[in-house]
Amino acid sequence: MSESDRPVVLIVEDEPDVAETYKLWLRNDYEVRMAHDGDEGLDLLDDSVDVVLLDRMMPGLSGDEVLERIRERDLGCRVSMVTAVEPDFDILEMGFDAYLSKPIRSEQLHETVENLLERSDYDTLLQEYYSLVEKQATLEASKSSAELEESDEYDELKEEIGELKSELSESLGGIGDDADFIATLRGLSNGEDE
Amino acid sequence: MVKTNKQSENMYDLSTVLDFDALDSVRPGTSLLVAGPAMSGKEALAMDILKDGVGNGEGAVVVTTNDQASSVVDDFRTDVPEMDDSQLGVVDCRGDNSGGEAAQSGAYIHHVNSPGDLTGIGIGITKALEGLHKSGRDQGRLALVSLSTMLTYTDKKTVFKLCHILSSRLDSAGYVGVFTIDSGAHDDQTLQVIKQAFDGLIEFREEDGTRQARVMGLTSQPSEWKEL
Repeated sequence: MSESDRPVVLIVEDEPDVAETYKLWLRNDYEVRMAHDGDEGLDLLDDSVDVVLLDRMMPGLSGDEVLERIRERDLGCRVSMVTAVEPDFDILEMGFDAYLSKPIRSEQLHETVENLLERSDYDTLLQEYYSLVEKQATLEASKSSAELEESDEYDELKEEIGELKSELSESLGGIGDDADFIATLRGLSNGEDE
Repeated sequence: MVKTNKQSENMYDLSTVLDFDALDSVRPGTSLLVAGPAMSGKEALAMDILKDGVGNGEGAVVVTTNDQASSVVDDFRTDVPEMDDSQLGVVDCRGDNSGGEAAQSGAYIHHVNSPGDLTGIGIGITKALEGLHKSGRDQGRLALVSLSTMLTYTDKKTVFKLCHILSSRLDSAGYVGVFTIDSGAHDDQTLQVIKQAFDGLIEFREEDGTRQARVMGLTSQPSEWKEL
Protein backbone atom coordinates (compact mmCIF):
# COMPACT_ATOMS: atom_id res chain seq x y z
CA MET A 1 0.00 0.00 0.00
CA SER A 2 1.41 3.38 -0.93
CA GLU A 3 1.86 6.15 1.56
CA SER A 4 -1.11 8.12 0.25
CA ASP A 5 -3.53 5.19 0.50
CA ARG A 6 -3.02 4.74 4.17
CA PRO A 7 -5.71 6.03 6.50
CA VAL A 8 -4.78 9.32 8.15
CA VAL A 9 -4.85 9.67 11.92
CA LEU A 10 -4.57 13.08 13.54
CA ILE A 11 -3.38 13.16 17.15
CA VAL A 12 -4.33 16.29 19.10
CA GLU A 13 -2.46 16.09 22.41
CA ASP A 14 -0.64 18.74 24.41
CA GLU A 15 1.79 16.39 26.17
CA PRO A 16 4.63 15.72 23.70
CA ASP A 17 5.71 12.41 25.27
CA VAL A 18 2.22 11.01 25.13
CA ALA A 19 1.71 12.18 21.54
CA GLU A 20 5.05 10.64 20.47
CA THR A 21 4.10 7.34 22.06
CA TYR A 22 0.82 7.20 20.15
CA LYS A 23 2.65 8.04 16.96
CA LEU A 24 5.20 5.28 17.51
CA TRP A 25 2.42 2.78 17.97
CA LEU A 26 0.44 3.87 14.95
CA ARG A 27 2.95 4.93 12.34
CA ASN A 28 3.46 1.51 10.77
CA ASP A 29 -0.19 1.25 9.83
CA TYR A 30 -1.33 4.81 9.33
CA GLU A 31 -0.19 8.18 8.19
CA VAL A 32 0.06 10.06 11.47
CA ARG A 33 -0.22 13.82 11.92
CA MET A 34 0.34 15.60 15.21
CA ALA A 35 -1.03 18.78 16.69
CA HIS A 36 -0.07 20.17 20.08
CA ASP A 37 -3.24 22.04 20.80
CA GLY A 38 -6.78 22.51 19.57
CA ASP A 39 -6.01 25.40 17.22
CA GLU A 40 -3.23 23.55 15.50
CA GLY A 41 -5.48 20.51 15.30
CA LEU A 42 -8.14 22.48 13.46
CA ASP A 43 -5.48 23.84 11.08
CA LEU A 44 -4.24 20.36 10.22
CA LEU A 45 -7.71 19.01 9.72
CA ASP A 46 -8.96 18.49 6.18
CA ASP A 47 -10.93 15.95 4.15
CA SER A 48 -8.07 13.50 4.11
CA VAL A 49 -8.17 12.89 7.87
CA ASP A 50 -10.03 9.69 8.77
CA VAL A 51 -9.66 9.50 12.53
CA VAL A 52 -8.94 12.17 15.15
CA LEU A 53 -7.63 11.25 18.60
CA LEU A 54 -8.58 14.24 20.67
CA ASP A 55 -7.34 14.90 24.17
CA ARG A 56 -10.12 16.35 26.24
CA MET A 57 -8.11 18.45 28.67
CA MET A 58 -5.81 20.84 26.87
CA PRO A 59 -4.73 24.42 27.42
CA GLY A 60 -6.53 26.75 25.01
CA LEU A 61 -9.37 25.16 23.11
CA SER A 62 -10.77 22.14 24.98
CA GLY A 63 -11.47 18.85 23.28
CA ASP A 64 -15.20 19.56 23.46
CA GLU A 65 -14.76 22.88 21.68
CA VAL A 66 -12.58 21.34 18.99
CA LEU A 67 -15.19 18.64 18.45
CA GLU A 68 -17.90 21.24 18.06
CA ARG A 69 -15.90 23.03 15.36
CA ILE A 70 -15.17 19.76 13.58
CA ARG A 71 -18.88 18.98 13.44
CA GLU A 72 -19.64 22.52 12.27
CA ARG A 73 -17.22 22.06 9.40
CA ASP A 74 -19.04 18.88 8.48
CA LEU A 75 -15.92 16.82 7.93
CA GLY A 76 -16.41 13.10 7.57
CA CYS A 77 -13.76 12.16 10.11
CA ARG A 78 -14.36 10.04 13.22
CA VAL A 79 -13.37 11.47 16.55
CA SER A 80 -12.30 9.55 19.60
CA MET A 81 -12.01 11.44 22.83
CA VAL A 82 -9.04 10.65 24.99
CA THR A 83 -9.83 11.24 28.63
CA ALA A 84 -8.53 10.60 32.09
CA VAL A 85 -11.97 9.70 33.45
CA GLU A 86 -14.24 6.82 32.52
CA PRO A 87 -17.05 8.42 30.54
CA ASP A 88 -20.56 7.14 29.87
CA PHE A 89 -23.31 7.58 27.30
CA ASP A 90 -23.31 11.34 27.80
CA ILE A 91 -19.99 11.48 26.00
CA LEU A 92 -21.56 9.80 23.01
CA GLU A 93 -24.47 12.17 23.24
CA MET A 94 -22.00 15.04 23.01
CA GLY A 95 -20.97 13.80 19.60
CA PHE A 96 -17.81 11.79 20.10
CA ASP A 97 -17.62 8.55 18.13
CA ALA A 98 -15.61 6.68 20.72
CA TYR A 99 -13.58 7.26 23.82
CA LEU A 100 -10.33 6.05 25.26
CA SER A 101 -9.49 6.28 28.95
CA LYS A 102 -5.92 6.99 29.94
CA PRO A 103 -3.57 5.26 30.38
CA ILE A 104 -3.96 3.78 26.93
CA ARG A 105 -2.24 0.64 25.74
CA SER A 106 -1.05 0.15 22.17
CA GLU A 107 -3.51 -2.62 21.56
CA GLN A 108 -6.47 -0.50 22.67
CA LEU A 109 -5.41 2.37 20.50
CA HIS A 110 -5.17 0.15 17.44
CA GLU A 111 -8.50 -1.42 18.19
CA THR A 112 -10.25 1.92 18.48
CA VAL A 113 -8.77 3.33 15.28
CA GLU A 114 -9.55 0.10 13.41
CA ASN A 115 -13.07 0.12 14.72
CA LEU A 116 -13.68 3.71 13.69
CA LEU A 117 -12.40 3.01 10.20
CA GLU A 118 -14.62 -0.05 9.98
CA ARG A 119 -17.56 2.06 11.00
CA SER A 120 -16.83 4.45 8.15
CA ASP A 121 -16.85 1.48 5.78
CA TYR A 122 -20.21 0.43 7.16
CA ASP A 123 -21.61 3.93 6.59
CA THR A 124 -20.29 3.95 3.03
CA LEU A 125 -21.81 0.54 2.33
CA LEU A 126 -25.13 1.59 3.83
CA GLN A 127 -25.17 4.73 1.69
CA GLU A 128 -24.43 2.66 -1.43
CA TYR A 129 -27.12 0.19 -0.48
CA TYR A 130 -29.64 2.98 -0.07
CA SER A 131 -28.78 4.49 -3.47
CA LEU A 132 -29.36 1.16 -5.21
CA VAL A 133 -32.60 0.49 -3.35
CA GLU A 134 -33.85 3.92 -4.32
CA LYS A 135 -32.86 3.32 -7.93
CA GLN A 136 -34.76 0.05 -7.88
CA ALA A 137 -37.86 1.74 -6.47
CA THR A 138 -37.64 4.42 -9.18
CA LEU A 139 -37.42 1.78 -11.92
CA GLU A 140 -40.33 -0.14 -10.45
CA ALA A 141 -42.43 2.99 -10.31
CA SER A 142 -41.70 4.00 -13.90
CA LYS A 143 -41.85 0.66 -15.72
CA SER A 144 -44.44 -2.07 -16.08
CA SER A 145 -43.63 -5.51 -14.70
CA ALA A 146 -43.28 -6.80 -18.28
CA GLU A 147 -40.72 -4.09 -19.02
CA LEU A 148 -38.87 -4.89 -15.82
CA GLU A 149 -38.68 -8.54 -16.77
CA GLU A 150 -36.99 -7.59 -20.01
CA SER A 151 -34.60 -5.15 -18.41
CA ASP A 152 -30.99 -6.24 -17.92
CA GLU A 153 -30.38 -3.12 -15.88
CA TYR A 154 -33.06 -4.18 -13.44
CA ASP A 155 -31.62 -7.70 -13.16
CA GLU A 156 -28.16 -6.38 -12.49
CA LEU A 157 -29.49 -3.94 -9.95
CA LYS A 158 -31.29 -6.68 -8.05
CA GLU A 159 -28.17 -8.77 -8.04
CA GLU A 160 -26.05 -5.91 -6.78
CA ILE A 161 -28.56 -5.18 -4.03
CA GLY A 162 -28.45 -8.80 -2.92
CA GLU A 163 -24.67 -8.73 -2.75
CA LEU A 164 -24.54 -5.49 -0.81
CA LYS A 165 -27.16 -6.77 1.58
CA SER A 166 -25.06 -9.76 2.58
CA GLU A 167 -21.92 -7.66 2.70
CA LEU A 168 -23.69 -5.31 5.10
CA SER A 169 -24.93 -8.06 7.35
CA GLU A 170 -21.38 -9.36 7.59
CA SER A 171 -19.92 -5.96 8.39
CA LEU A 172 -21.51 -5.70 11.80
CA GLY A 173 -18.45 -3.71 12.73
CA GLY A 174 -20.70 -0.75 12.13
CA ILE A 175 -22.76 -1.51 15.19
CA GLY A 176 -20.65 -4.03 17.05
CA ASP A 177 -21.36 -2.58 20.48
CA ASP A 178 -23.50 0.08 22.15
CA ALA A 179 -21.05 2.89 21.47
CA ASP A 180 -20.98 1.93 17.78
CA PHE A 181 -24.73 1.75 17.62
CA ILE A 182 -25.28 5.17 19.14
CA ALA A 183 -22.48 6.83 17.21
CA THR A 184 -23.80 5.36 13.94
CA LEU A 185 -27.22 6.81 14.69
CA ARG A 186 -25.65 10.13 15.58
CA GLY A 187 -23.84 10.05 12.25
CA LEU A 188 -27.23 9.70 10.57
CA SER A 189 -28.55 12.88 12.14
CA ASN A 190 -25.39 14.75 11.20
CA GLY A 191 -25.09 13.10 7.85
CA GLU A 192 -27.80 14.93 5.93
CA ASP A 193 -25.15 16.58 3.86
CA GLU A 194 -25.30 14.84 0.52
CA MET B 1 -33.77 -19.63 1.86
CA VAL B 2 -32.30 -21.28 4.91
CA LYS B 3 -34.35 -24.15 6.21
CA THR B 4 -35.21 -23.43 9.81
CA ASN B 5 -35.78 -25.90 12.58
CA LYS B 6 -39.28 -25.29 13.85
CA GLN B 7 -38.58 -27.24 16.97
CA SER B 8 -35.97 -24.77 18.12
CA GLU B 9 -37.06 -23.07 21.30
CA ASN B 10 -35.28 -19.88 20.32
CA MET B 11 -37.68 -19.21 17.48
CA TYR B 12 -40.47 -16.73 18.02
CA ASP B 13 -44.00 -17.91 17.41
CA LEU B 14 -46.02 -14.88 16.28
CA SER B 15 -48.79 -16.97 14.77
CA THR B 16 -50.70 -16.97 18.06
CA VAL B 17 -51.21 -13.25 17.48
CA LEU B 18 -51.72 -13.34 13.72
CA ASP B 19 -52.54 -16.76 12.34
CA PHE B 20 -50.15 -17.33 9.43
CA ASP B 21 -47.86 -20.32 8.93
CA ALA B 22 -45.08 -17.93 7.94
CA LEU B 23 -45.19 -16.44 11.43
CA ASP B 24 -45.05 -19.60 13.53
CA SER B 25 -41.28 -19.83 13.67
CA VAL B 26 -39.62 -16.47 13.26
CA ARG B 27 -35.84 -16.38 13.56
CA PRO B 28 -34.35 -14.19 16.32
CA GLY B 29 -33.07 -10.99 14.73
CA THR B 30 -35.93 -10.74 12.25
CA SER B 31 -37.39 -7.29 11.65
CA LEU B 32 -40.86 -6.95 10.23
CA LEU B 33 -42.60 -3.99 8.68
CA VAL B 34 -46.33 -3.74 9.37
CA ALA B 35 -47.96 -1.64 6.65
CA GLY B 36 -51.58 -0.69 6.15
CA PRO B 37 -53.99 2.20 5.91
CA ALA B 38 -54.89 4.31 8.93
CA MET B 39 -57.02 2.57 11.54
CA SER B 40 -56.39 -0.87 10.08
CA GLY B 41 -55.03 -2.29 13.31
CA LYS B 42 -51.28 -2.13 12.60
CA GLU B 43 -50.35 -0.59 15.90
CA ALA B 44 -52.65 -2.87 17.87
CA LEU B 45 -50.97 -5.81 16.13
CA ALA B 46 -47.50 -4.55 17.01
CA MET B 47 -48.50 -4.12 20.65
CA ASP B 48 -50.21 -7.52 20.73
CA ILE B 49 -47.03 -9.14 19.43
CA LEU B 50 -45.09 -7.56 22.30
CA LYS B 51 -47.72 -8.37 24.92
CA ASP B 52 -47.77 -11.97 23.78
CA GLY B 53 -44.02 -12.11 24.32
CA VAL B 54 -44.32 -10.51 27.75
CA GLY B 55 -46.88 -13.18 28.62
CA ASN B 56 -44.17 -15.74 27.78
CA GLY B 57 -41.70 -14.05 30.09
CA GLU B 58 -39.86 -12.15 27.35
CA GLY B 59 -38.72 -8.53 27.37
CA ALA B 60 -40.44 -5.76 25.44
CA VAL B 61 -39.27 -2.38 24.18
CA VAL B 62 -41.79 0.11 22.82
CA VAL B 63 -40.51 3.09 20.87
CA THR B 64 -43.45 5.41 20.47
CA THR B 65 -43.95 8.68 18.65
CA ASN B 66 -47.64 8.85 19.47
CA ASP B 67 -48.46 7.66 22.95
CA GLN B 68 -47.43 8.79 26.36
CA ALA B 69 -45.07 6.33 28.05
CA SER B 70 -47.25 5.95 31.13
CA SER B 71 -50.28 5.04 29.05
CA VAL B 72 -48.23 2.38 27.25
CA VAL B 73 -47.19 0.96 30.63
CA ASP B 74 -50.79 1.02 31.91
CA ASP B 75 -51.99 -0.67 28.76
CA PHE B 76 -49.45 -3.50 29.16
CA ARG B 77 -50.32 -3.91 32.83
CA THR B 78 -54.00 -4.20 32.01
CA ASP B 79 -53.60 -6.66 29.17
CA VAL B 80 -50.82 -8.75 30.72
CA PRO B 81 -51.60 -8.76 34.48
CA GLU B 82 -48.79 -11.19 35.20
CA MET B 83 -46.21 -8.79 33.77
CA ASP B 84 -43.28 -7.81 35.93
CA ASP B 85 -42.44 -4.12 35.35
CA SER B 86 -38.83 -5.06 34.68
CA GLN B 87 -40.00 -6.73 31.46
CA LEU B 88 -40.94 -3.45 29.80
CA GLY B 89 -38.98 -0.47 28.49
CA VAL B 90 -40.58 2.50 26.76
CA VAL B 91 -38.83 5.12 24.65
CA ASP B 92 -41.22 8.04 24.43
CA CYS B 93 -40.28 10.30 21.50
CA ARG B 94 -43.12 12.77 21.66
CA GLY B 95 -40.88 15.38 23.20
CA ASP B 96 -43.47 16.17 25.80
CA ASN B 97 -42.86 14.81 29.25
CA SER B 98 -45.21 17.17 30.96
CA GLY B 99 -47.91 14.51 31.19
CA GLY B 100 -48.26 12.97 34.65
CA GLU B 101 -45.88 10.04 34.65
CA ALA B 102 -46.93 7.03 36.63
CA ALA B 103 -44.51 7.56 39.49
CA GLN B 104 -44.95 4.03 40.75
CA SER B 105 -43.87 2.65 37.41
CA GLY B 106 -41.02 0.22 37.70
CA ALA B 107 -40.88 -0.06 33.93
CA TYR B 108 -37.94 1.67 32.30
CA ILE B 109 -39.01 4.94 30.67
CA HIS B 110 -36.79 7.14 28.54
CA HIS B 111 -37.86 10.48 27.09
CA VAL B 112 -36.50 11.78 23.80
CA ASN B 113 -36.91 15.37 22.64
CA SER B 114 -38.37 14.61 19.25
CA PRO B 115 -38.93 11.75 16.80
CA GLY B 116 -36.09 13.30 14.80
CA ASP B 117 -33.58 12.85 17.63
CA LEU B 118 -32.09 9.58 16.45
CA THR B 119 -29.20 9.67 18.90
CA GLY B 120 -31.62 10.05 21.78
CA ILE B 121 -33.71 7.18 20.49
CA GLY B 122 -30.58 5.05 20.20
CA ILE B 123 -29.59 5.82 23.77
CA GLY B 124 -33.10 5.03 25.00
CA ILE B 125 -33.13 1.69 23.18
CA THR B 126 -29.63 0.85 24.44
CA LYS B 127 -30.56 1.56 28.04
CA ALA B 128 -33.83 -0.34 27.75
CA LEU B 129 -32.05 -3.37 26.26
CA GLU B 130 -29.38 -3.16 28.92
CA GLY B 131 -32.01 -3.18 31.68
CA LEU B 132 -33.79 -6.16 30.14
CA HIS B 133 -30.54 -8.02 29.75
CA LYS B 134 -29.65 -7.38 33.39
CA SER B 135 -32.98 -8.75 34.56
CA GLY B 136 -32.28 -11.89 32.54
CA ARG B 137 -34.63 -11.32 29.61
CA ASP B 138 -32.53 -12.67 26.78
CA GLN B 139 -35.44 -12.94 24.42
CA GLY B 140 -37.65 -10.05 23.57
CA ARG B 141 -39.48 -7.97 21.03
CA LEU B 142 -39.23 -4.34 20.05
CA ALA B 143 -41.91 -2.22 18.40
CA LEU B 144 -41.44 1.15 16.75
CA VAL B 145 -44.71 3.02 16.31
CA SER B 146 -44.65 4.68 13.91
CA LEU B 147 -42.26 5.21 11.03
CA SER B 148 -44.83 7.51 9.42
CA THR B 149 -44.34 10.07 12.17
CA MET B 150 -40.58 9.74 11.86
CA LEU B 151 -40.88 10.37 8.12
CA THR B 152 -42.41 13.76 8.87
CA TYR B 153 -39.30 14.69 10.87
CA THR B 154 -36.64 13.31 8.62
CA ASP B 155 -36.25 12.11 5.02
CA LYS B 156 -36.74 8.60 3.69
CA LYS B 157 -33.03 8.01 3.28
CA THR B 158 -32.43 8.62 6.97
CA VAL B 159 -35.41 6.50 8.00
CA PHE B 160 -34.23 3.69 5.73
CA LYS B 161 -30.79 3.75 7.28
CA LEU B 162 -32.26 3.98 10.77
CA CYS B 163 -34.36 0.88 10.13
CA HIS B 164 -31.36 -0.97 8.84
CA ILE B 165 -29.19 -0.02 11.82
CA LEU B 166 -31.95 -0.88 14.31
CA SER B 167 -32.48 -4.22 12.58
CA SER B 168 -28.79 -5.01 12.92
CA ARG B 169 -28.86 -4.05 16.60
CA LEU B 170 -31.91 -6.29 17.17
CA ASP B 171 -30.17 -9.05 15.30
CA SER B 172 -27.22 -8.95 17.67
CA ALA B 173 -29.62 -8.88 20.65
CA GLY B 174 -31.58 -11.86 19.27
CA TYR B 175 -34.78 -9.83 19.41
CA VAL B 176 -37.63 -9.56 16.95
CA GLY B 177 -38.63 -6.10 15.69
CA VAL B 178 -42.00 -4.81 14.47
CA PHE B 179 -42.17 -1.41 12.83
CA THR B 180 -45.42 0.19 11.67
CA ILE B 181 -46.03 2.48 8.71
CA ASP B 182 -49.23 4.08 7.41
CA SER B 183 -49.30 3.03 3.77
CA GLY B 184 -51.77 5.78 2.89
CA ALA B 185 -49.50 8.54 4.13
CA HIS B 186 -46.57 8.05 1.75
CA ASP B 187 -45.97 7.62 -1.97
CA ASP B 188 -45.34 4.16 -3.40
CA GLN B 189 -41.68 4.82 -3.93
CA THR B 190 -41.12 5.71 -0.29
CA LEU B 191 -42.91 2.55 0.79
CA GLN B 192 -40.91 0.46 -1.67
CA VAL B 193 -37.66 1.86 -0.29
CA ILE B 194 -38.58 1.44 3.38
CA LYS B 195 -39.72 -2.15 2.79
CA GLN B 196 -36.22 -3.05 1.61
CA ALA B 197 -34.79 -2.36 5.05
CA PHE B 198 -36.79 -5.27 6.51
CA ASP B 199 -36.73 -9.05 6.44
CA GLY B 200 -40.46 -9.35 6.05
CA LEU B 201 -43.70 -7.48 5.60
CA ILE B 202 -47.12 -7.86 7.19
CA GLU B 203 -49.60 -6.01 5.03
CA PHE B 204 -53.12 -4.96 5.93
CA ARG B 205 -55.92 -3.87 3.59
CA GLU B 206 -59.66 -3.25 3.61
CA GLU B 207 -61.50 -5.21 0.94
CA ASP B 208 -65.29 -5.51 0.56
CA GLY B 209 -65.75 -4.21 4.04
CA THR B 210 -63.45 -6.79 5.65
CA ARG B 211 -59.96 -6.47 7.07
CA GLN B 212 -57.40 -8.65 5.38
CA ALA B 213 -53.74 -9.38 5.93
CA ARG B 214 -50.89 -11.19 4.22
CA VAL B 215 -47.27 -11.95 5.06
CA MET B 216 -44.39 -11.48 2.61
CA GLY B 217 -40.66 -12.08 2.68
CA LEU B 218 -40.39 -14.73 5.38
CA THR B 219 -41.14 -17.63 3.06
CA SER B 220 -40.25 -18.00 -0.61
CA GLN B 221 -43.81 -17.17 -1.67
CA PRO B 222 -46.03 -14.47 -0.19
CA SER B 223 -49.01 -15.81 1.72
CA GLU B 224 -52.53 -15.42 0.35
CA TRP B 225 -54.67 -12.54 1.58
CA LYS B 226 -56.62 -13.75 4.55
CA GLU B 227 -59.68 -12.29 6.21
CA LEU B 228 -59.17 -11.36 9.84
